[in-house]
Amino acid sequence: MTEIVLETQGLTKYYGGRLALDHLDVQIPRGCICGFVGRNGAGKTTAIKLMLGLLNPTAGSSSLLGCDSQQLTPAIRQRVGYVTEGHHLFRWMTVGRIERFQRAFFPKQWDDKFFADMIEYFGLSRKQKIKHLSNGQRAQVSLALSLAPNPELLIMDDPTLGLDAAIRRQFLEGMIELIMRQGRTILFSSHILGDVERVADRIAVIDKGVLRANCSLEQFRKAVKKVIVAFKDAPPAEVQINGLLHCRRRERDLELILVDIEDAQIAAWAHTVKADGYQIVSMNLEDQFIEYTAPENHRRLFRWEEK
Amino acid sequence: MRFFALVRKELRECLPWMMLAVVSLLVLGGFVVWVRVLPENAYRYPFFSPGSTVSPSQLTRHSVLGGAGSVLLMISIMFGLALAVRQFWMPFFTRTWPFLIYRSVQKSTILWAKFAAGTTALLVALGPVWLGLFLYAGRPEVFALPPTLRTFWEGWFYIASGLIVYLGAVLVGLSTARWYTTRVFGLAFATLIVVTTLVQCRLSLAFVSVAVGVAVLMSQITHTFLNREF
Repeated sequence: MTEIVLETQGLTKYYGGRLALDHLDVQIPRGCICGFVGRNGAGKTTAIKLMLGLLNPTAGSSSLLGCDSQQLTPAIRQRVGYVTEGHHLFRWMTVGRIERFQRAFFPKQWDDKFFADMIEYFGLSRKQKIKHLSNGQRAQVSLALSLAPNPELLIMDDPTLGLDAAIRRQFLEGMIELIMRQGRTILFSSHILGDVERVADRIAVIDKGVLRANCSLEQFRKAVKKVIVAFKDAPPAEVQINGLLHCRRRERDLELILVDIEDAQIAAWAHTVKADGYQIVSMNLEDQFIEYTAPENHRRLFRWEEK
Repeated sequence: MRFFALVRKELRECLPWMMLAVVSLLVLGGFVVWVRVLPENAYRYPFFSPGSTVSPSQLTRHSVLGGAGSVLLMISIMFGLALAVRQFWMPFFTRTWPFLIYRSVQKSTILWAKFAAGTTALLVALGPVWLGLFLYAGRPEVFALPPTLRTFWEGWFYIASGLIVYLGAVLVGLSTARWYTTRVFGLAFATLIVVTTLVQCRLSLAFVSVAVGVAVLMSQITHTFLNREF
């Protein structure tokens, strides 16, 4: 049986009267790399902070390595790395000083050689002050600081935000370095679907505080489909097909976004509505994500068009 | 080891403010004492008019160190405020709280490390300078009216006033209430305790006042800090 290292149950958070996270149920098995994706303000940071016990939930619970997030012991925290959003470190410290500071909290597990290798790989010097580093360099220091203790579970909050393509690639390679250590688990939130596609094997999609998908990346890639159905005359006014997410109408065809539907079902439906033909269009992960989390007004527009 | 790593970090962050406090007290306090060394000022005190009868207690009360005491009080209060802002307010602006809080120690250890560093900073920065001023002012060949030991202890209550203001400002910084509501409770209470301490005639009562202030503020801060979201 696969061990679950991170689990949330009905995790809910209100900020005053505003709902930020709505009954989040997630399970992350050991050894997987999970991309936690969502638009701005979707609730990713709130969810991560709740998982780490930095925020108090309004309802529900979460656990890390079997320990309740609100009662995390120093021993559990030692096994769980965290890269904060924006990589806000102590600006007055040098890279060497922040290394010494961080090492004090991991006396037995800190890997000096690994940290030195990472710093060298990123082209940083121990004498450089954090305040003189660029965003990308701070991100690199942040990653090295969280990887050097060799955590079992690494949680990263939008680690590549604001980084250019080259730095992002270096950062991801640093992550892969950890992934290569067996049995390590990573949860990272991101806006950049290319990054998720490159390293993740699992995806959790959150939209307006609600978890919309939590499956393997492969499953998600197969589940979300764009189908263009052509008609000889005007398309039918009513579209009744399982898994319909969005429907865009053009003069003689329909563009459908469908979820979790077999190709055979699409073919059967096309036959039923006497379509002239249909084509399943391939989409990259970014297109799939955008279509999957498209705002409600897409559907409203469609309803308005129907009238 | 972890606790000391935290204390070292906090002390290093307080260091510029400590240096400023030391220099300010040395310059201003030293100036006040030096002015009284001048022969024309040596026996001139604001409350005594020429030819009036002065009791011995009045003389010791208004010793040469008396003026430096008010400087110490002002610097202590301002230093306490600065420490609270540096330790508890700044991390909200620099967004470093999550990085600091999420580590392999109890949350309370972080709080105690901050307190330890803040208190040490106050005592180390102001205590030795005050002691130095006391010893200087106590030289009989320089001053006709050397300060009494009571004046020296009063100085430590001025430093304690800075500690009270520090704790009050910490509570304000950690509070999530609105500014015009209970958020200002910390500083309002600290002001009350400082005034209560300073008006006491007996040092033992002043000590009780400080002890009550510290106990109330510390318990409030601990509760707020442990339950606060970062």
